[in-house]
Amino acid sequence: MLSPRWRKILRDLWHNKTRTVIVVLSISVGVFAIGMIVSTQIILSEDMASGYHATNPASAYLYPGNFDDDLVEAVRRIDGVQEAEGRLDWLSVRLKVGPDEWRDLIIDVIGDYDDMRLNKVSPVSGAWPPPKKGILIERNSLPLTNASVGDVIEIETSEGKVRQLHIAGLAHDMDNPPAQFIGRPFGYITFDTLEWLGYSRTYDELHILVAENTTDKDHIQAIADQVEDKIEKSGQTVYWTYIPEPGEHPANESVQPLLIIMGVLGTLSLFLSGFLVINTISALMTQQIRQIGIMKTVGARTTQIVGMYLGAVLIFGLLSLGVAVPLGALAAHAMSQYLAYLINFDLAGFRIPPRALALEVAVGLIVPLLAALYPILSGARVTVHKALSTYGLGKGIFGRSLIDRLIEELTTATQMLSRPMRLSLRNTFRRKGRLILTLSTLTLGGAIFIAVLSVHASLLTTLDDALTYWNYEIEIRFSRPHRIAQIEREAMNIPGVSDAECWSGNTARRQRPDGHEGPNISVIGVPADTNMIQPTILEGRWLLPEDENAIVVNTEVIKEESDIKIGDEILLKIEGREATWQVVGIVQGIMTGRIAYANQSYFAEVIRYVGRSSGVQIVAEAPGDASSPESTSKHDPTFQSELAKKIKTHFDSRGLQVRQTETTASIRENIEYQFNIIVIFLSIMAVLVAIVGGLGLTGTMSINVLERTREIGVIRAVGASDASVMKVFIVEGLFIGLLSWLIGAILALPISKMLSDAVGMAFLEAPLSYTFSTQGALLWLSIVLILSALASILPAWNASRLTVREVLAYE
Amino acid sequence: MFRRWLKRNRSVNGASNGRYRNGNDHLIDLRQLVKAYQTEAGPFFALKGINLKIDTGEFVAVVGKSGSGKSTLINMITGIDRPTSGDVLVGDTVVHTLNEGRMAVWRGRHVGVVFQFFQMLPTLTVIENVMLPMDFCNIYSMRERQERAMRLLEQMDIANHANKLPSAISGGEQQRAAIARALANDPPIIAADEPTGNLDSKTADAVFELFEKLVDEGKTIVMVTHDRDLARRVTRTVTLADGEIVDELVRERNRLQSPLALTETIDA
Repeated sequence: MLSPRWRKILRDLWHNKTRTVIVVLSISVGVFAIGMIVSTQIILSEDMASGYHATNPASAYLYPGNFDDDLVEAVRRIDGVQEAEGRLDWLSVRLKVGPDEWRDLIIDVIGDYDDMRLNKVSPVSGAWPPPKKGILIERNSLPLTNASVGDVIEIETSEGKVRQLHIAGLAHDMDNPPAQFIGRPFGYITFDTLEWLGYSRTYDELHILVAENTTDKDHIQAIADQVEDKIEKSGQTVYWTYIPEPGEHPANESVQPLLIIMGVLGTLSLFLSGFLVINTISALMTQQIRQIGIMKTVGARTTQIVGMYLGAVLIFGLLSLGVAVPLGALAAHAMSQYLAYLINFDLAGFRIPPRALALEVAVGLIVPLLAALYPILSGARVTVHKALSTYGLGKGIFGRSLIDRLIEELTTATQMLSRPMRLSLRNTFRRKGRLILTLSTLTLGGAIFIAVLSVHASLLTTLDDALTYWNYEIEIRFSRPHRIAQIEREAMNIPGVSDAECWSGNTARRQRPDGHEGPNISVIGVPADTNMIQPTILEGRWLLPEDENAIVVNTEVIKEESDIKIGDEILLKIEGREATWQVVGIVQGIMTGRIAYANQSYFAEVIRYVGRSSGVQIVAEAPGDASSPESTSKHDPTFQSELAKKIKTHFDSRGLQVRQTETTASIRENIEYQFNIIVIFLSIMAVLVAIVGGLGLTGTMSINVLERTREIGVIRAVGASDASVMKVFIVEGLFIGLLSWLIGAILALPISKMLSDAVGMAFLEAPLSYTFSTQGALLWLSIVLILSALASILPAWNASRLTVREVLAYE
Repeated sequence: MFRRWLKRNRSVNGASNGRYRNGNDHLIDLRQLVKAYQTEAGPFFALKGINLKIDTGEFVAVVGKSGSGKSTLINMITGIDRPTSGDVLVGDTVVHTLNEGRMAVWRGRHVGVVFQFFQMLPTLTVIENVMLPMDFCNIYSMRERQERAMRLLEQMDIANHANKLPSAISGGEQQRAAIARALANDPPIIAADEPTGNLDSKTADAVFELFEKLVDEGKTIVMVTHDRDLARRVTRTVTLADGEIVDELVRERNRLQSPLALTETIDA
């Protein structure tokens, strides 16, 4: 049989349902945030890894030009190589997606669909393997093709051949990036189809899997070097070797920082919910103080009282777990599913990871107990005499501190506020400890909310900066190089084009002094006096027309090649040929990846494309000003897209076969899509934090009403109407909200800078172009005022319902 | 019960100058009690050197005007409040030296407190309220607690309300329940602060009769009251004014003959 004291605790929880709900929700929010994030982290890590491992990912990728099965067989025999396989990778063709609309389609060619050994692509639906003249579409890519399984699609090869392919089915490939991220669909064909399209039957990408120490990157590098040596001894050049993070899904490096940032915000929510528990348990103890006095009178010891209320907190914790664990699990599943869809892998199914559950239980029980310890100890230690005394009108002192005197003078001297308003204002400062707790919760909530929106603004500014950096609107890629003079002349003949400039580009890798190769660097050959890029020079200078082997690198190159200084000579390997370049300048990299700029004429000589180029950058005419390239960014996506179509038609009609057109608007769209993912996840956390803040304020306002029961009676006795009583509390709530907004907005400045730097470093490897979101601050102001009003209305309404007799007779 | 308690304490403490181990001969011995409260205007003396001795079986009424120090005095006996100076000796215990924890246990076992506003815990039923002190002091077995609480409620004539919440019964019934709760651990002393102050005269009379019955059974009762009529029915009346005892009236009570037939002597 349950003893009376525990029955009391249970019934108290039941009788004070609103309070119980507030406490349970307060704890639940924190547990939910932690549970959701940790579960997502575990589910994603486990399922992403298991799904990826099931494809038997390669340890290294080598690019030795074109090769056949003989080379694959030879590599399989090399010591330390467990498996090798050839692929024709990333064959880019144009896919017709509308009457006059084309999009790039990336095709991978697999030799034997039934004997895939590495980076296995798996069937999803339809035919397997794809028949001749048939194609399998990667399952996530299908929406980008504007077609369905069974449809016939029209493609145009780089040679200008137009062919019709039958979509024979869907496949799943974890090795390629998600189609939505790059805005291009993926397809899979056989060599028979490849030949039918007019290409030769050959591989260009060699996958190898090492036999031992599969997670040791150095070991993999050594084996890859060995394979490269053997291939090169056979007379073939290996242009590049790529070693991914062993055993790690390529998306892991983007997902983990996102989850870490969310983890930090989740911990913060938990911290805030701890504040809230302190606040609410203080309220509970305030309400219970008389009963504590009675219990002590009939023999209860402080330890017994402490035990009882800690027991109540434990029950709150258990109830919260009942709410937060299933909701957290559902949210984690939804979040994992969304991320799995974006990253393109399958989840193993709905589950609550035991580690996450253990953490939730610990957090749900320990954090509230710790948070409640102080208010419970202070409440339980109160003397019987104090507990049973009900002198005066409410607690808290106003008028002694400097702030109080300031407010008093301000409100009295200005004569601007009505007396009830002054009462509200002064009441706010009566219980300063509680005010600080409430303000901390609401302020931090606001600061984080504004910070999240500032990160969003910073992401967009960074994007704008990047797109301003590339000061053109349309990029045209041809199927093969053409004469620069012809390209530019034809471009300028197109109505609506204000400027055209041909660039040359290629991929280089630095031959480091230690003999190893660095990662890929894009080298762009540009005219030294180009207007189409606007780099920020950090060190040294920009290119001069008379420069020859001078090169300007961006900060992202420096990040990988940190030994490079202005004036240094570096060795770059381009298409298997090595050349020495002198670094003359370092420019800021803005979402551009690793780029080096060289003088176009010299670079064309190096890559043996003198006077020719396979691409042109186009600047559109500004409406009403045909000569101003600076105003180009003002054109909308439709204009750019229409102009791109016109340009393509024009070039095609002049025999300059266009392989690809890309507008800055579409680039922006793709990048914004990725940015929005970050913002969506950060916003979930911001909303959670806002909920915690709102709950905190509701709790505080409820306690304030409770403590001022007698005072309400006095106000009523001197003629205050229901509305006046309500107004006193609502104004107080609004004032707290306003105060929290003011401090929160100031606090948001450093927090948003830190968060923006962290997000930038995590996703773009460079701090974002920091922009404080004034809109975010104003939005939070509206939210906090609505929250404050809502949080105060229920307690204020309760206050207005009390009768004079009730409150003044209240003992 | 009380006798056993005294016997046990005496045997434990051995030599003593008085009947109790702290040298006091009286069950309750208040010596030179001073209680001062700090106010903005300076110290306010609620009690100014009170000396009061109460023996087992006495029924003492403390009377006086509002602010005379009645409640403060009774709070000294129950240990609810502590003196600024002076001693509070109750049986073998020097009450004012106990810490809060020991004080709670001591009070739970030895003093039953009855308040003007009943002070029932609102979320516990009447019988659960009565069982609560037994629960805290862990005196009886779980089964005994229930049986004893029911016996006490029967004694108070409210057994039929045992399973109701306090809010569902009348003020008089709540006060009876509060008295039952005060008796839960069978304390030798009952301290009541205006126990009839919130009751109508008929109910107040019934409650008072209960107190008289308890005194007959050997309990010692100290009661603060405003009611002069009731005060005349006790064995001793202590009158306070401005924190001092200004009058003390001792009666030889013979309630069976007539509550008014008392031999009054003034104790100088």
